[in-house]
Amino acid sequence: MITLTIDGQKIEVPEGTTVLNAARKAGIHIPTLCDHPHLKPYGGCRLCMVEIEGFRTLQASCTIPASNNMVVRTTSDQIRKARKFVLTLIFSERNHFCPYCQVSGSDCELQNAAYGEGMTHWPLQPNWQPYPMDASHPYFILEHNRCILCRRCIRACSELVGANTLGVEERGAKTFVIADLNVPLGESSCVSCGMCVQVCPTGALIDRRSAYRGQNTTVDHHQTVCVGCSVGCGLDILTRDQQLIRIDGNWDAKVNGGVTCKVGRFYPAFDDRERIKTPLVRKNGTLQPVSWEEALNAAAEKIKTDSGDGLAALASTRLPLESLALFRQLFADRLRSEMVTSTEEGSRTAILSKWAEKLGKAFEGNIDQVHEAGAFFIMGADLINEHEVLGFFIRRRFPEGIKLIVVDEDQNQLGDLAHCALTPQKKSLAVLLKGLIAAVAKLGQNRIPFEGQPDEEVQKASSACGVASDLLLEAAFQLTNSEKPIVIYDPAITNDEMMSLLITLSQTTGATMISIKGGANAMGAAQLGMDKSFKLNGHQVAYIAIGDEEPKEKLIQQIENCSGIIVQASYYSRLTAMADVVLPVVNWLEQDGHFINLDGRLQTATKALQPPETVWTNEAVLTALAEKLGMIIESDWESVATQRPSPVSIAA
Amino acid sequence: MSKPKVASDWMAGCAGCHMSLLDMDERIIQIAELVDLRSTPITDLKHPDESGVDVGILEGGINNTSNEEVAKMMRKRCKILVALGDCAVFGGVPAMRNFFTIEETLRRAYVETESTDSEGKIPDDPELAKPTRVRAVHEVVPVDIFVPGCPPDADTIFYVLSELAQGRRPVMKDDKLHWH
Repeated sequence: MITLTIDGQKIEVPEGTTVLNAARKAGIHIPTLCDHPHLKPYGGCRLCMVEIEGFRTLQASCTIPASNNMVVRTTSDQIRKARKFVLTLIFSERNHFCPYCQVSGSDCELQNAAYGEGMTHWPLQPNWQPYPMDASHPYFILEHNRCILCRRCIRACSELVGANTLGVEERGAKTFVIADLNVPLGESSCVSCGMCVQVCPTGALIDRRSAYRGQNTTVDHHQTVCVGCSVGCGLDILTRDQQLIRIDGNWDAKVNGGVTCKVGRFYPAFDDRERIKTPLVRKNGTLQPVSWEEALNAAAEKIKTDSGDGLAALASTRLPLESLALFRQLFADRLRSEMVTSTEEGSRTAILSKWAEKLGKAFEGNIDQVHEAGAFFIMGADLINEHEVLGFFIRRRFPEGIKLIVVDEDQNQLGDLAHCALTPQKKSLAVLLKGLIAAVAKLGQNRIPFEGQPDEEVQKASSACGVASDLLLEAAFQLTNSEKPIVIYDPAITNDEMMSLLITLSQTTGATMISIKGGANAMGAAQLGMDKSFKLNGHQVAYIAIGDEEPKEKLIQQIENCSGIIVQASYYSRLTAMADVVLPVVNWLEQDGHFINLDGRLQTATKALQPPETVWTNEAVLTALAEKLGMIIESDWESVATQRPSPVSIAA
Repeated sequence: MSKPKVASDWMAGCAGCHMSLLDMDERIIQIAELVDLRSTPITDLKHPDESGVDVGILEGGINNTSNEEVAKMMRKRCKILVALGDCAVFGGVPAMRNFFTIEETLRRAYVETESTDSEGKIPDDPELAKPTRVRAVHEVVPVDIFVPGCPPDADTIFYVLSELAQGRRPVMKDDKLHWH
């Protein structure tokens, strides 16, 4: 610890703390623009200048580390003059006329800084150089005229996301934010995560749906969990008058630390599917609006006539544990249907649960370890196109010198970034894993005994899977020569043999295993035993609680011949068009509940929007339906969710 | 002591700041009691007294030679000059045209407007003021007090006027400082 004095106040901070952070810790406000608490210090805007005794000139407090006995002053005539001058120059560069800007009022950090310095006008008028506006991106707009070149967007793009799409061209006053080698954003390598929009201090990056619809001070904030995939990012949902305004990554969420992808941030705001607002029952061949009473009776009637073996029930993994538990209770425990599963059909989780049972313990690690690992072995998981945030967490660590080994029989875009991209012949992943385990032994780095001749085994595997033995050895070298390696895999492509080999590989290299689980509550559904493959075998009635999930084509084909189809859904789809009874339910933004993410975090989702009046929660529908069938069901998710052995340790 | 004389005028703006001034409702009577209101665009007297006024208020930016004259006359005849509203302070919305050439804007307004037929032409009567780049008032004449806002709140204008009427200099900060 070191001690410094800021504005006469003695402050103790750990070595390496910047003067700015030391001041913040003591509650002393220093105005900033380019600084952002979740980005590395940059020292670009010079607004945070302070006086430090012994220094000839003012110093940028955001980049200068505090040192022992340092004496700092944050307010003096010289400092105020400097700040005003900095702001004056920024305002003179581009179009910073507030009346027609989306962020004016409370959201603009530049305007707030000017107010803070009591600026009533601009000592220097703008130079009237018009800059283009890039509106080529589907979700947001880059308005160069409002840009102050703080580079927060660029830093977020590389430091938080690892996409490295944004950068600058030219220098000085001609500096210009560009995407790739100056192509329109919409045609660039942009992954549309929108982190740049989330960190922009001015109106230079605004998203199309929220612009001009409310400011941070005029909207309500709700912290909830994304149901886009099993990462389960924490989100900050901004609403106003029961309208969704914008979605940001929640900086305080442990799993994602503010980072999120297009699935969480933009998809919901751009969802233009038609909402079902009233229960529907098929009469004379067409679906007609009816009362809840009539719809529930119709549903109960269909179920009664065909209960037990004739009934198949399927629920979305976008539903909370509360709903899934009631669903299971009603259809599996009470109605005794043997075909009760989830829309994921356990395609990823079933084998994991099986191995958890076999090993009698959780065998996977957690996402936090991704931030520390020195090497990643990725098998099958396409983290560019799904579970994107997990991909960001890996990609953003490239500057730290991490090693990436990608194994995939198919095209895997992460392979383009890998140090070792291994593309084995079809159906030879197991052989490759064997070769890799042998290669580790050949290097003498195996942590568990290896049986057989490593040399021979490597050669054998190499010729069998079509991956050069040098590459196998290289991959083994990278894995064993890095700190805390991680194996990330897609369980959907594994079988028992491969699981066993993956576990051996992890043990022999000291790696942590992490797998992607699919839907937001795929893990939750697995814990409730809803992980069967969905097969119809003489089932006459299908009950599908699809929620706000878009039904897959396969499902629609599977249930085509059922004589009774009951659908619990938020939106019209091809599935609801086939249904005999449609029960309208809340979407993910309108529900409270719990989810288990891919590393076992039990997370709480909270309602951000009030559902339409005639729309019920999934729990309410299931409970009412049970009543119609003369049954009382109560959600027991808390006791059930942790009963089954799980591949990850489940904890709140 | 005689009441301080106040005059106002508007230039390249939308008159909204004067509307906001009227928006102070019954408090305008208090102001009227405190000051001697001379020329304004919404009263009969159109130019500030040649003998001078204490406070001159200008709304709008300066976008042609006529505005220049208005600003210079006000500056010459007042002791304290107030730039009222974003247009007077910064150039405001009219200054959007500064990102184009004057020829481009005139052509857009008089020739290329959707409602203009083939007869459309840019007015060129020598009597007309000559358009210029839109400037903030302080780019043409020195300004003493800046009251930004689009428009400034009636409360802010009341505060500014009542302070000036009582011989004090208003301080624009905190809830009174808004650029909108």
